Amino acid sequence: MFALTALEAEALGLSLRVAVACVAVTLPFGLAAAWLLARREFPGKALFDALIHAPLVLPPVAVGYLLLVLFGRNGPVGGWLYDIFGLTLIFTWEGAALASAVMAFPLMVRSIRLALELVDRRIETAARTLGASRLKVALTITLPLALPGILTGMVLAFARSLGEFGATITFAANIPGETRTLPIALYTLVQAPGGEAGAMRLMIISLILAIAALVLSELISRRLAARFGNGGAG
Amino acid sequence: MVVAAPAGWAAEPVVVFAAASMTDAVSALTHQYNESHDAVVVASYAASSTLARQIEAGAPAQIYISANARWVDYLGGRGVIERRCDLVGNRLMLIAPAGRPLDLDIAVGFDLAAALGDRRLAMGDPNHVPVGLYARQALKTLDVWPSVRDRLVHSADVRATLALVARGEVAAGIVYATDARLSDQVRVVGVFPAASHDAIVYPAARIIGPGNAAADHFFAYLVSNQGRAVFAAFGFDTDITAPCSP
Repeated sequence: MFALTALEAEALGLSLRVAVACVAVTLPFGLAAAWLLARREFPGKALFDALIHAPLVLPPVAVGYLLLVLFGRNGPVGGWLYDIFGLTLIFTWEGAALASAVMAFPLMVRSIRLALELVDRRIETAARTLGASRLKVALTITLPLALPGILTGMVLAFARSLGEFGATITFAANIPGETRTLPIALYTLVQAPGGEAGAMRLMIISLILAIAALVLSELISRRLAARFGNGGAG
Repeated sequence: MVVAAPAGWAAEPVVVFAAASMTDAVSALTHQYNESHDAVVVASYAASSTLARQIEAGAPAQIYISANARWVDYLGGRGVIERRCDLVGNRLMLIAPAGRPLDLDIAVGFDLAAALGDRRLAMGDPNHVPVGLYARQALKTLDVWPSVRDRLVHSADVRATLALVARGEVAAGIVYATDARLSDQVRVVGVFPAASHDAIVYPAARIIGPGNAAADHFFAYLVSNQGRAVFAAFGFDTDITAPCSP
């Protein structure tokens, strides 16, 4: 058992905070986008689908640069956010959360969409014919049946956020205590001559965190599978 | 059109690892050399510390140009340096975006923190990137470091700092004099007093190992007056008299 240094504790705490914020921000939009893709036909759906999935394929640095251009203090969105709300995203942990949210978004949408597509529509129709409102059907039938997929999406987004590097360092930079997450701290130490020992420790911490997250997600999906049967977990 | 070199050394490229601040000068120099010598010299640019780590890990570089002596000493201590020559010098500057210039006199206790407002100061990572090491030293000498150390954006190299200032995303940045003159989107606020930090000297080193005549020849050209003239054209200080060693 080794004790964390101040730098390691700071980077770990920050990574967890960014990842939690990333999941919180992504979830409502992810649900909405997944529902649109799974249940609705509309003009431009293919383009919408492609746009949502773009961060999976784009180099993370390209995403970070796009965020820098749009959400920087001098960017069209960033300037507006600052003037109206006094909100700065660039070089802040909130910006790091935004960067990882954009990168994690397609993973979450894919997983929720798959779960929604696997929900048996006849059960929903039956509930409707028995007089349940659309909202009641969504809350008592669709969402519970899709829950394993939604949780898988959340775990994937959380994990993606913990590992996010390229978009984050491009948009949020490397600021100790603010945006220097585990991967960025690790990168910094790898770059610095004499940083090997510290880099090795951060690598081990990252490994432990990754394994813990995977084991946890496996336990959750097993428990859900036991409760819901084969409810469509991705 | 590729023509075989008489000496047969054009087949194996000579690989130069150079500090990010040398990007334009070394590109010009290698271009000029390749044209006139029918040689293939290729260069890779990054923070000197990053390059030192790569060379230590066995990167196939035959020549290394660092923005400080420290990382050449570091490699020297690991027994990979065959010969080193101080190549050129530089100065440290405070710059601001052209659209948001700062009016400050760089002196002991100057109020940099107030001038930053609610924005940040960009500089190379002060833990290893040479320009960041010089900048931290200068700010400490001037008693300004404690008030700005929590306001920094650590850049991976000096050119990343320059880009952040040029984009206007930070209030100010610390770069070399040779970088400041490359962008018309930045304005020089002032030059740090030479006495506020170690002299900025770029040693060029010949790495032991992948040795060949082409690398030796380019190294000699690099440290010759002809080579230094190229650096002078990019604003580097070529008034360096220290001899090569060994």
